[in-house]
Amino acid sequence: MHITEGILPPKWVAVWFAVSAPFVGIGIYHIKRKKRAVPSYLPLVGMLGAAVFVFSCFPIPVIALNGMATSHPCGTGMSAVLLGPFVSVLVAGIALLIQALFLAHGGLTTLGGNIFSMGILGSFSGYFAFKIAQRCKLPLFWCGFLAGTISDLFTYLGTSIELGLLVINKGGSFFKAAAEIFGVFMMTSQGVLCIVEGAVVGFVMVFIYKRRPGILFNLGVIRDDTKSIGT
Amino acid sequence: MDFLHHTFSDVYARQNNWLTRMDVRLKMLYVISLLSINLWAKNVSVPLFFFSVSFIFLFTIKIPFMSILRSLSLPMVFSLLILLVKSLHEGEQVWFSVSILGYKLVFREEGFFNGLHTGSKVLGGISLVITFSFTTTISRLCAGLAWFRVPNTIVELMAFMYRYIFLFLDEVATMWIAQKSRLGHTSWRKMIPSLGTLCGVLIIRAFDRAERTYEAMHVRGYEGGRILTVTLSPWRRKEYIFFIGMVLITPILIYTGGLCLW
Repeated sequence: MHITEGILPPKWVAVWFAVSAPFVGIGIYHIKRKKRAVPSYLPLVGMLGAAVFVFSCFPIPVIALNGMATSHPCGTGMSAVLLGPFVSVLVAGIALLIQALFLAHGGLTTLGGNIFSMGILGSFSGYFAFKIAQRCKLPLFWCGFLAGTISDLFTYLGTSIELGLLVINKGGSFFKAAAEIFGVFMMTSQGVLCIVEGAVVGFVMVFIYKRRPGILFNLGVIRDDTKSIGT
Repeated sequence: MDFLHHTFSDVYARQNNWLTRMDVRLKMLYVISLLSINLWAKNVSVPLFFFSVSFIFLFTIKIPFMSILRSLSLPMVFSLLILLVKSLHEGEQVWFSVSILGYKLVFREEGFFNGLHTGSKVLGGISLVITFSFTTTISRLCAGLAWFRVPNTIVELMAFMYRYIFLFLDEVATMWIAQKSRLGHTSWRKMIPSLGTLCGVLIIRAFDRAERTYEAMHVRGYEGGRILTVTLSPWRRKEYIFFIGMVLITPILIYTGGLCLW
């Protein structure tokens, strides 16, 4: 899902950095504002960010291959639900920077593009999917499932758009290229991975709700009317 | 999870050698300017020059070949994939064709050279980044970012996240083995709820640890300000010489990278 170093031409590097910068800026503003009211907020975001980063390193079995190969989740859907979309963009950006520097996944010049797909599209789609599912009074598992699955789908859609846009200069059709890339993503392990990540996020939400509902309440994931939440 | 323990380690950045001793601001300037040149390069010579020089630098500071290869394996696969896809899809002039299981694969010359160009940029860029990461600790990186006026929130959050990733990786590895030994991963049907439980425990522990960490930091005088402990010393003669070297070499690389070799 990460576009690797050197793939994007200079023009698109600048465009994606410009698109991502305001979201990162708003994320910083949100954290600063919250930190003034709750000084322990920054360590909390750091810890949850680290936990989500470790979650994104989980080797998830590729079901189509009956577990003979593994892939890994994005984690942005879960971080958006727990921390809110703007803070999640910032956390995803830092996670991408750490991955680019220390794991050679993604890159520094492609950081803007990767923040757009994984951070912005992944976080906002996951967050709104969760909120809409909550509005529809779906059980907590399905709210988490939709957040995880849809954020993954949008992340891959974002990457497909970014790669599809590269063919415009060469006279190719953007829609055709993006659809083909998205199709390849979905037909290989990633399509199933979206559903698996959704299921894992669903189980996580239910587990936390059963063991420590106060965490979800404190983070604003659920409201106090706990009677209305089925698991 | 073992893969991460091998790759995700700052053990080489903590060694004492000429690259780890180099000022982090200088290294950041070098990496940013060379990455920009790599990005604008119109031929393969400059990216491949970066790739080979990075390899030589990493060998001079005795980074094991397998560690370098482990970091480069994924980008190398990407480069080959790009080369293959571009060779098959771009251009008009047929170079050669092969028939595999009755399916004819036509390789085109223009696509091959385009793929070679992009693949070399991937390798050149990644090798610059890993040279930087193999020789720079996170504390120095954060100090460098703060010096370049990157917002404190980003620097502090990065320091926090990096610090606790290792701790959580250790905890997850222990829980992972415990789940596996109790037959929690025998099939993917069992594995998915097991992963959910594992991650749920991780989030709960993160939440609890955040409270305790804040209390410990508060006792030590933290009131929401900077948490960095590394201070960067002013540049001396050596740093200025490296900086002037960079200023002199950059135009040569830009010129060489701008040449159209085909």
